[in-house]
Amino acid sequence: MAPVKRAVTALLVIVSVALVAGQAARGSIAGRITTDQGDPAAGATVQVKDPAGKITSVVAGKAGEYRIASLAAGTYEISVPQMGLRTARYAQADVVVDAGKTLTIDIMLMPNNFGIVGDDAAFLQMYNKYKDLKGPAPRTPEGRPDFSGVWLANVDPNPAAAQMLPWGVEEWNRRRERAFEGMPTSRCLPADPTLTLPVFYKIIQTKALLVHLFEQDPHYRQAFLNGSHPADLDPTWMGHTIGRWEKDTLVLDTIGLNDKSWLLQGTWLPHTEKLHIIERYTRPDLAHLNIDVTIEDSDTFIKPVERHVQWLFTPGEELFEAICAENNKFLQYSVFK
Amino acid sequence: MKDMFACYSLALLLAFAAALPVAAHHSFAAEFDITKPVTLVGNITKIEWTNPHAYLYIDVKDPQTGMVTNWEIEMGSPNGLTRLGWTRNLLKPGDGVTIEGSLGRAKPNLANARSVVMTATGQKLGAASSEGAR
Repeated sequence: MAPVKRAVTALLVIVSVALVAGQAARGSIAGRITTDQGDPAAGATVQVKDPAGKITSVVAGKAGEYRIASLAAGTYEISVPQMGLRTARYAQADVVVDAGKTLTIDIMLMPNNFGIVGDDAAFLQMYNKYKDLKGPAPRTPEGRPDFSGVWLANVDPNPAAAQMLPWGVEEWNRRRERAFEGMPTSRCLPADPTLTLPVFYKIIQTKALLVHLFEQDPHYRQAFLNGSHPADLDPTWMGHTIGRWEKDTLVLDTIGLNDKSWLLQGTWLPHTEKLHIIERYTRPDLAHLNIDVTIEDSDTFIKPVERHVQWLFTPGEELFEAICAENNKFLQYSVFK
Repeated sequence: MKDMFACYSLALLLAFAAALPVAAHHSFAAEFDITKPVTLVGNITKIEWTNPHAYLYIDVKDPQTGMVTNWEIEMGSPNGLTRLGWTRNLLKPGDGVTIEGSLGRAKPNLANARSVVMTATGQKLGAASSEGAR
């Protein structure tokens, strides 16, 4: 054997041994995810977080099956983020992955909202219908990213706990003790001005406006792209929103909010009229809209609350009328009077 | 002092967040008791296809006494049900259904529906597997 060939062969052997050793030092987590009804949760995201906070995620297949391979031996947290309104977040800490082994974790997701049928935007079905959309982000005739269309929103897959001043914690505890019965939407009042409810939104974009339409009171929010906030705003439920472009990012800024709304679905935080919401919109491709929301209120939060959400483009869907006051029996059937 | 508040608040929030049934957009816990599951078999007498919730009314016969009671069943919104493949005419008065859900708190014979199965076809409405019903 020629010296060069011998050297290459030796190198290949060393590389192969190293690869095998590397694989042996790694393990996997695999299993099957089902909904609370026992159906496969196809399209659900499964995440593992290592002790350093690094997150690896995969999407469950048609039978709800998933596999996260090549994990270094160690301890992880496994989680399935909340999906829409009806499926609660699942999380299990202290999951130990051994080298060379596959740990089986079958997950049955728990329902939110008692799992009430239809109390959702059919999240998984809609997600699976549109998740494979491919293509570049469209642009307006002026060359700006175009956010127009119908979108399926979801919550932050890894929401950080808000840190509130004592009055905020006390108010939040009071709300919790009363089963959140004071929630404005229970009374057909507006939902959250952060627009983070995991429902459908329709965006209409012009040079001067970005309008959100949605199936909750007050059914619209307009952001003025060529203006500034008026002085001395009267506080309102949705406040006053302006927007400016920073290259391909649209930055929306909302002030002039009253203190009546409850913030962030599932958490329902209190706030004061100091509330200031900043949203940063980017569209990396046809299918996705990334929104980073910063919620500031130094009279309530010790530091700004952040949420990072991703909406999915659902061009075949449409909004429906939703007049909440039509037949709202909440006050009649609530045990809190 | 501010840091003490931060620790105090965070600890409280984390402790409660773990035990908290998430309240999505209506406070169902104020209306229904999840510790009281109920299964009801009966025939539809009326449908309210309305916002913010649709309602089914069903006659349920007590197998022992033969007494018939009319139950009111709260579901999600017509918009949510429509996206799950329902139409307002999918169920009609007279149709048999089996409902699983939780008992209401405010009055007798009130419940919500976690699942609705049509007696005639065995089809579970609103579950992921009913997508074909669109």
